Amino acid sequence: MAKLKRDELTVDGVRTVMYSAGSGEPVVFFHGAGTVDGFDFLEPWADRFRVIAAYHPGFGESGDDPTFTELHDYVMHYLELFDALKLGKVNLVGLSLGGWLAAKFVSEHNDRVKKLALIAPAGIIDPKHPMMDVIKVPGDQIPGLLVSNFEVLKKRLPEKPDLDFIADRYRESGTVARLLWEHPVQPKFMRYLHRIKVPTMIVWGDEDKIIPVQHTDTWRKLIPHADIKIYQGAGHLVHLEKPEAADAIAKFLG
Amino acid sequence: MAQPLRFSCMHFMPYAHLPEDHKQYKSLWVDLSNKHYDPEKGHTLYQRYLKELVLADQLGFDAVVVNEHHNTVYSMMATPNIIAAALVPQTTRAKICVWGTPANLMLPNRLAEEYATLDVMSGGRLEVAFPLGTGMEYWANPINPATAREKFRESLKIILQAWTADGPTTHYGTHYTYRFLNPWPRPLQRPHPPCYIVGTGSPETIDIAAEYGFGYASVFVPMERSYELVQVLRKRAKEFGHTLRPEQFPLLTFIYVADTDEQARTEYLPHLKAFFEDYVRTTPQYLAPPGYLSVDQLKIRAAGADKMHGGFDLDLLSKAFFIAVGSPETVAGKLSHWAEWMGSSHINGVMHVADMPHWKTVKNLTLFAEQVIPRLRQSEPQRVAAE
Repeated sequence: MAKLKRDELTVDGVRTVMYSAGSGEPVVFFHGAGTVDGFDFLEPWADRFRVIAAYHPGFGESGDDPTFTELHDYVMHYLELFDALKLGKVNLVGLSLGGWLAAKFVSEHNDRVKKLALIAPAGIIDPKHPMMDVIKVPGDQIPGLLVSNFEVLKKRLPEKPDLDFIADRYRESGTVARLLWEHPVQPKFMRYLHRIKVPTMIVWGDEDKIIPVQHTDTWRKLIPHADIKIYQGAGHLVHLEKPEAADAIAKFLG
Repeated sequence: MAQPLRFSCMHFMPYAHLPEDHKQYKSLWVDLSNKHYDPEKGHTLYQRYLKELVLADQLGFDAVVVNEHHNTVYSMMATPNIIAAALVPQTTRAKICVWGTPANLMLPNRLAEEYATLDVMSGGRLEVAFPLGTGMEYWANPINPATAREKFRESLKIILQAWTADGPTTHYGTHYTYRFLNPWPRPLQRPHPPCYIVGTGSPETIDIAAEYGFGYASVFVPMERSYELVQVLRKRAKEFGHTLRPEQFPLLTFIYVADTDEQARTEYLPHLKAFFEDYVRTTPQYLAPPGYLSVDQLKIRAAGADKMHGGFDLDLLSKAFFIAVGSPETVAGKLSHWAEWMGSSHINGVMHVADMPHWKTVKNLTLFAEQVIPRLRQSEPQRVAAE
């Protein structure tokens, strides 16, 4: 199993840190609103794919771009990155906020994407089952909400959060605030989801505390061809809690 | 002292009837349910607090000061311009200071209009301070903390343009578009009422004050840090071609006067304790909403946390903040020393805190006006010379 290799590049002026491994068809992962969950679940996939995970601007090891005020800026950023890497069609995998971003990317650029896999994606407005407004949740409570089995996440967190860890999380929440403070849900996103034409898979944990699993009903309506799999006993980070969910995505991608 | 000391009287107008079980709440800001607000009690408090500020005017304070906070027992002044408007006809001499509405929290033309209205109504007695607002205000208002600083700057530019340029003018910015910026009325004071920036000493707020040549009202900034930031601000302002005057550095000071030091402490400390333990109590999350602080500032503040917002150690606090409690002589001595040290001629006295009763506030105001102000005025060299 290939280890992820770190690269640093400048994408449209933004220092962008990217991890990749393997060769073959590109699989690009869009992380969510936080980055503590890591990219290592991609490593087993490197036997078959060229896996690529970059930190979005304003997250993790990448630099900031305070001009980024909407998700569309991230669509443009990834178009630039794909051009810079000379990637043809990519397979996109998006988690949570990254799932929202991936779906938005595809709804605008079907021609750049071969297949789309979404892990508990954000972005759906369902008044009966509202997504948790994570901006309101005190930071120390968030890890406990991400998973059903905390052991899965525990090893990725410091035993006692130090100032640097807290500051890193604060920076990421500030980046999210720039995008979503005024409008944590955006009806226009759903308006154009029907434009997604590529093969699509969506995986969800039935115990997701951040985005209720009932959102799958809306996804099914808006993308009727999507293959939707629900995993029992898993929370928001279903791909970490249920390795079979990650395996299913890898299988779907080819 | 290069110029006569100026004495302002600041009031927070707290809602002083905390729920009995209030200690169980981590924050008395943002999410403390407004079911605990009894409008009948609020009515009585407004009547009383307004009287106290009117008394300050009558006793010879140079200014009365109100400010803005939301969703909290700390202050019943979510709309300070309404309080200021109530003070206009009841006061005759004192400047009316609204220190103030965060420039980015209201439509800038509307804020320019309200302030101009107050200035015209009061015959040019208005002074304005522009705070960025505490982190807590951003949880209460639909304003993005991550873009607050740039929006604040843009709002300020619009307000000053509205006040100083003959309208109609235009503004095409990032956050606002004005096709006809032409507010009636214009302020009475020309070019505009005296302005301050309110801040806690972040480089950004200091730079705004320096650029415009505005005063700087620092709030809850430890003394040594206040001293440093005044030095930095003077220097930065010079680089922008402004020489700041001593009255542009109001010293936010907690003041209580009684006949003796001991009596003052006995009468005052329970209220100051309630203020620091309860009225300012809130959570780190509410203090620093996402994007409100730079990551560097967050680290600095997190490292220095717990000095306030929920703790009370008078010795520690007295070292950190300007707190003058004692006999007229003691208080006068402290204020004189601090003014000299800081190069400030402006004492902004908080004369009431927390659940302090009316009689103590009246006593404090009266003793200060009758026994402290004269002492300090006498010690001013040019006064002595004139006499």
